Amino acid sequence: MLCENCKERQASVILMQDTQNGPIERNLCEKCAFNLQTFSISPNQEPMSIQQFLSQWLSGSESLHQQTREVQKMPECPECGLTFHRFLEIGKFGCPTCYETFRERLPKVFGKLHNGNTNHKGKIPASFNEKMTIKKKIEELRTNMQEAIQEEQFEQAAVLRDEIKDWKQKLAAEIEEGGSAHGE
Amino acid sequence: MGNKRFMQNAVTGWMVPHGEHADIVMSTRIRLARNLREFRFPIAFSDEQAEEVGEIVSEALLSEVEKGYSYTRMKELPQLDRQVLVEKHLISPQLADAEQFGSVFLSEDETISVMVNEEDHLRIQCIYPGLQLENAYQKANETDSALEKKLPYAFDEEFGYLTSCPSNTGTGMRASVMLHLPALTITRQINRIIPAVSRLGMVVRGSYGEGSEAPGNVYQVSNQLTLGKSENEILAELANIVSRLIAHERRSRELLLEKSRIALENRVFRSLGTISYARLLPSAEAARCLSDVRLGIDLELIEDVEMSILNELMIFMQSGFLQHYEGEELTSEELDISRAKLFRERLKNGPSKADEQTDRP
Repeated sequence: MLCENCKERQASVILMQDTQNGPIERNLCEKCAFNLQTFSISPNQEPMSIQQFLSQWLSGSESLHQQTREVQKMPECPECGLTFHRFLEIGKFGCPTCYETFRERLPKVFGKLHNGNTNHKGKIPASFNEKMTIKKKIEELRTNMQEAIQEEQFEQAAVLRDEIKDWKQKLAAEIEEGGSAHGE
Repeated sequence: MGNKRFMQNAVTGWMVPHGEHADIVMSTRIRLARNLREFRFPIAFSDEQAEEVGEIVSEALLSEVEKGYSYTRMKELPQLDRQVLVEKHLISPQLADAEQFGSVFLSEDETISVMVNEEDHLRIQCIYPGLQLENAYQKANETDSALEKKLPYAFDEEFGYLTSCPSNTGTGMRASVMLHLPALTITRQINRIIPAVSRLGMVVRGSYGEGSEAPGNVYQVSNQLTLGKSENEILAELANIVSRLIAHERRSRELLLEKSRIALENRVFRSLGTISYARLLPSAEAARCLSDVRLGIDLELIEDVEMSILNELMIFMQSGFLQHYEGEELTSEELDISRAKLFRERLKNGPSKADEQTDRP
């Protein structure tokens, strides 16, 4: 079935809308559902298993109403305009910045979806690896510098300060080359 | 369109039985979901952004990675051709349904496909015949590493690869193995196995993914978790479960042969008769009979039919292929007639001709 709104893509989301003449069912694609401002989801629809999963698991003992009121306080994603509430409804992020916007809430979401796991433990892109190595190096040098200052070895501290400066320039060059890392 | 030419174009790498446990494992597939940092996900991006993503990715793929990729925009591909790509498992139904801005890059041997602007900006897929989890991952990973040098991926130190759906966040990897499990199905053990496997963080489904049944007793086993485990850990766990399923299937086959050989032979040969002589062959019946005949070949009850023909027929029996073969749109009755005709032709052609046509790398 084609999406009722754009009539281009396959409908994969069933929206139940309350109107004055009673509830009506609308069949939309994910994209149109994303762009639609207000809707609620029918609980027995098939295609949105992730969404169902999220809303069922996250609501827990809280009533959906309470949950809704609470999540509406969450900020909107500045990049794509997705709210956390809507994220729970459609079960999809709108853009990479959503991860930053909802960062505090996400461990709970991922924990439920990924068997308690909330942290990535796999491949890291090579460019990221270099940046992360440099960042670790800077942190290490900073710690050494603080120690040197406390021990009043100011000459040593000055050497470390210059070294940190060099590494920061390298990091800036890395970021310039590959674009800035998400969340930096 | 000549039969032979059609077959040559249609057979793709993973359909030729090869690799470990090729009698039970039909294919191994690795999929990596990746996104570009500066763009909204396809669910939310604008037409201009969609166009731009397509351009950036094609530049990276065509100039840098490897020559020999073919590039196809969905909007320029007739609906039927898209369906054929889905039936060959080279693109997802979602990409085929799509989207003005969806496209696919296919390597020459069709083992690697890169889908652009599906649910994520990039879906890198590698599909191999038989059980080849490590090889398939290695190949997909090579493509990913080559692309990552050119493309600014959305990646986060805590959450890993950022994807549109939270169920892919982390490695972005879905590894799946397609298994033919007739004995576990006949003996109804599969119903107990499916929930047991899901407790181990893996999913068993029908061969066409979520919500699909298992036509022809073909099941897809894949990882559910993408966070908290490395790619190698996920692959090792999946390999472990798959090898247990294979062992279980083999034991059940032996038991069936031992306890009810005549009933099994009866079923296998009736099915061979049906697909060799039927004039109307509905898809459910075709799938069931193919499964029986495949089992019969594995158990050496049937000796004069090549396994490679069976793998092909499982794909060619689908409606997109049949319509492509006939060169026109078909009603459901016409499809059943066409399917029966194709089966008769292929099974009469005999093993020697089939070898010539399918013996591709």
